[in-house]
Amino acid sequence: MDYTVSTIAPIFLFPFFAFVINAFLGRKLPKDGNWVSLIGILLSFVFSLRVFFDFMGKYDTNFYVHKVFNWFDLSVGDSVFKIDLGIYLDNMAVVMLLMVTGVASLIHIFSIWYMSGDRRHGRFFVFLSLFTSAMIGLVLANNLLLLFIFWEIMGFCSYSLIGIYYEKDKAGDASLKAFMTTRVGDVLFLLGILAIWAVIGSVDYVDIYKAIAEGTFESVTVMGIGMTTFAAFTIFCGNIGKSAQFPLQVWLPDAMMGPTPGSALIHAATMVAAGCYLSLRMYPLMEAGGLTPFIAFIGAITAFGAATIALVQKDLKAVLAYSTISQLGYMVLGIGVGSYNAAFMHVITHAIFKACLFMSAGSIIHSVHEQMMPKLGGLSKKLPITFLCMVACTLAISGVPFFTGFVSKDRILGDAIYWGMMAGQNKAFAIVPILGFLGAILTPFYMTRMMCLIFLGKPRDQHVYDHCHQEHFSLTQHLPLVILSIFTLGVFFSGALIGEWVPVFGAKQEWFKVLIEAPNVNNFVDTIKSSFGFSDSVTSSMSVTKATYTHQLGYFGPNPDEHGVHQAHFIGAILSIFLAIGSIIASYLVYVRGITDPNKWANTFAPVYRTLVNKYYFDDFYLGVVIQKGLLGFNKFLSWFDMGVYDRIFIDGWAKVNFFFVRLAGWFDDKVIDSLVDLNGIIVKIFNVIFRKLQTGRIQWYLVVMFFSLVFINYYFLL
Amino acid sequence: MMMSLASYLVISAFLFLIGIAVILSRKSLIAILLGIELILNAAALNFVTYSRFGSQDLDGHIMTLFIIVVAAAEAAVGLAIVIRHFQLKETIHIDEVSQLKE
Amino acid sequence: MFHKLLFIMSTVLTVASALVVLLNKNIMHACIALLGSLIGIAGLYLTLGADFVAATQLMVYVGGVVILMLFAVMLTGGQDFVSKTQKLFDLTPNMGNATSYSVGIVSAALFGMIIYGLTESSLSSIPKKDIDPNLIEASTLERLGELLLTDHVLAFEISSVLLLGALVGAAIIARPDRSTSSSANTSEEQ
Repeated sequence: MDYTVSTIAPIFLFPFFAFVINAFLGRKLPKDGNWVSLIGILLSFVFSLRVFFDFMGKYDTNFYVHKVFNWFDLSVGDSVFKIDLGIYLDNMAVVMLLMVTGVASLIHIFSIWYMSGDRRHGRFFVFLSLFTSAMIGLVLANNLLLLFIFWEIMGFCSYSLIGIYYEKDKAGDASLKAFMTTRVGDVLFLLGILAIWAVIGSVDYVDIYKAIAEGTFESVTVMGIGMTTFAAFTIFCGNIGKSAQFPLQVWLPDAMMGPTPGSALIHAATMVAAGCYLSLRMYPLMEAGGLTPFIAFIGAITAFGAATIALVQKDLKAVLAYSTISQLGYMVLGIGVGSYNAAFMHVITHAIFKACLFMSAGSIIHSVHEQMMPKLGGLSKKLPITFLCMVACTLAISGVPFFTGFVSKDRILGDAIYWGMMAGQNKAFAIVPILGFLGAILTPFYMTRMMCLIFLGKPRDQHVYDHCHQEHFSLTQHLPLVILSIFTLGVFFSGALIGEWVPVFGAKQEWFKVLIEAPNVNNFVDTIKSSFGFSDSVTSSMSVTKATYTHQLGYFGPNPDEHGVHQAHFIGAILSIFLAIGSIIASYLVYVRGITDPNKWANTFAPVYRTLVNKYYFDDFYLGVVIQKGLLGFNKFLSWFDMGVYDRIFIDGWAKVNFFFVRLAGWFDDKVIDSLVDLNGIIVKIFNVIFRKLQTGRIQWYLVVMFFSLVFINYYFLL
Repeated sequence: MMMSLASYLVISAFLFLIGIAVILSRKSLIAILLGIELILNAAALNFVTYSRFGSQDLDGHIMTLFIIVVAAAEAAVGLAIVIRHFQLKETIHIDEVSQLKE
Repeated sequence: MFHKLLFIMSTVLTVASALVVLLNKNIMHACIALLGSLIGIAGLYLTLGADFVAATQLMVYVGGVVILMLFAVMLTGGQDFVSKTQKLFDLTPNMGNATSYSVGIVSAALFGMIIYGLTESSLSSIPKKDIDPNLIEASTLERLGELLLTDHVLAFEISSVLLLGALVGAAIIARPDRSTSSSANTSEEQ
């Protein structure tokens, strides 16, 4: 397959054209043009499927396609200032592309059901298309600058989708909060891009990898910090903001104000995954900068903290929101401990089961018009299809064997055990796997709690229960749920159990493990950039070799001990199976059988409970301390400096100096210039007295003068 | 001797001067137009005179014919202007036609 | 002999009438005097053998232009103006004082110059000869027509366009304001 404009560009352009058509013509089209968006994303899915199978056919870990075309070139002489745009596709990007287009297609289908009759129906589909196209562009991008552009378009779209019911104050505030909070990370991210640009004059991935391999960044420091560390930290800050990591996690729960399919797209499949995608892309930089322990700690704190908050939430979307943050924490933890493959697999698997969970939640909310869990209950009889899909996803997120969560999350935890405890690093690193496992206990517990409160037991509010209609299978409502829940089965990703039965992934066992690997920076030295044209003249000369999976761990040390890693994985797997199943049973016993009253526990540990309900007081901290005391105090200081110091000393002093000169100039003007002007006037007046007599306005007088002149001229010439 | 070139030129010059005197001294716009006619006729007479005493061909005659034509056009337009001015200002006194001065 | 008689009569008529135009206070009389002056010039054209030009002079000037002038005089009330202010040192040329002097000086100076020019340069270069009676007899009409439609056809056509433009322009200029006139008409009709 050729990677040219005609094969790659449609993936991005179909949703983008759908956006353009809907933005300008949406109101005139039937059904507000939702079918335009759907067709756009489905075509995009078909094209990315082609690319996906082509890459699968290659079956080479190191294969990648990098095509550029010149965006602008302002080079003068020796100083090069040139920016190329292009695509960079490796195995990770291709898998990500398939996930994004596939999940987005299903979300589009679901949105047609969910948003029908909504007053912002057309607007929703406009932003849905733009959002999807921006995410696709982000995955295709070959450099950080292009990625940043799409990153910001997504930020804007999430702002618009969260605040789509902008007349509600809460929605408006939530959209603003999401926008401003991610802005903190984005500014630092941009700083990182600029730092890299300043050193190597390019922000292409391949150039960055090459620079790392050649050691260009070494001995370059920014504000006393090593260049690699600085760039890695600032770029990771972009990830923190976008993926709602500690301490910028506050925006994501509020973002649940948007319509639920929008949440599914933003918080499951695309935007939050984009943050992790960025960190995975820049993984060699993070590793070279020695930032991985920091990343691991951030991820562990987020994974555990968000899980504890999710325990006490009453709103079902809030539970999903905090579980999203928690799962994103696992991804970041995986990046931190060097579990590159598993972290990326978790991005994919999480996108699938979380999109399904969000859409199921949308299905419930749309059916009962109630999202507070204490008012629900016993809905499994009325919503059987939704119930079954949600059960599958809950098992997946809990890490029960044969489901995707087990495949991905438990490999992250296994690597974490090895990284924190067995690799002989700092003893304090053991906190990371401990927090990870505590989170792994809590995750099944709160998910089962949510399921029990919604579907099992007796209806708590009979009115709400009666309001809900018995559901029947509908194509737009249930098809996406069913498809996604099928893909929560682990076989599609591990290939370990039935790999040989599935012909596509074929005889190649554990395709995911083999294909996705952290980029080896040494491969990028001496690469030639091929230009992006309509015909693919340069074919990849890379030999197709059967790749094997080797472990990489996020520290510079001796090669990981294969035996130790296997041991760690074995321990992790056994531990998490027991923890997950035990936790599910415990939760079932508590919330369905009622062996103990949760409220009693809440009273017993009242301070803890209050802390959790108030989300560790993060919002209050940001609002009360950072914004009120910090920013406003700084504001007041600046205003005092402006008024008291700057105005009084510089402005007023300058005014005094000026005043002196003004008076000097005024005197000069009055005495000297004015008398000159007056003299001029007097001279003019004198001539005026003379010449006024001549200007009579009587034509005959002019004629007399004319003839006199004629006489004199004649006289001069004749005599 | 009497009907020589010089006598015609003197007559022509005399007419020309009287035309100028009329333009300079009369106060009526129409009278000024009369003076202009006199000047034009003086010039036309010169053309015919030189045609007769000089080159002997008829180009001078043709020039005179054109002068007559142009004079007729000029008289028509000039009188139209005078009449229009009289309609607007109720006067044709040359000294009062000085709106541009104010 | 007849030519001489015609020449003397025409000269006297021309000069005398022109003086009347200059000196007569009455604008109506001045117009009539201009008529005489133009007839005299036509006579002078005849003595120069320009029969067609003389006829055109009579038709266009005497029959057209002067009649037009008379109409204009009558339309504007035939008023003439004696000087309004009589200050001695008023530089404005009013009849009767400084104006008279300045006009007289200008005219005399110009006349002197023309006579001087005639005596000095023009007359010496042009050969003096008597008028050939045969030439006066022969009509110039045929030759003029030929010249007008061959050598001078462009000027001829341009002059026709000029005449048309001048007449249309004169008609437009002399026409009263449509709005005022129409309203006046309607009010009269009512």
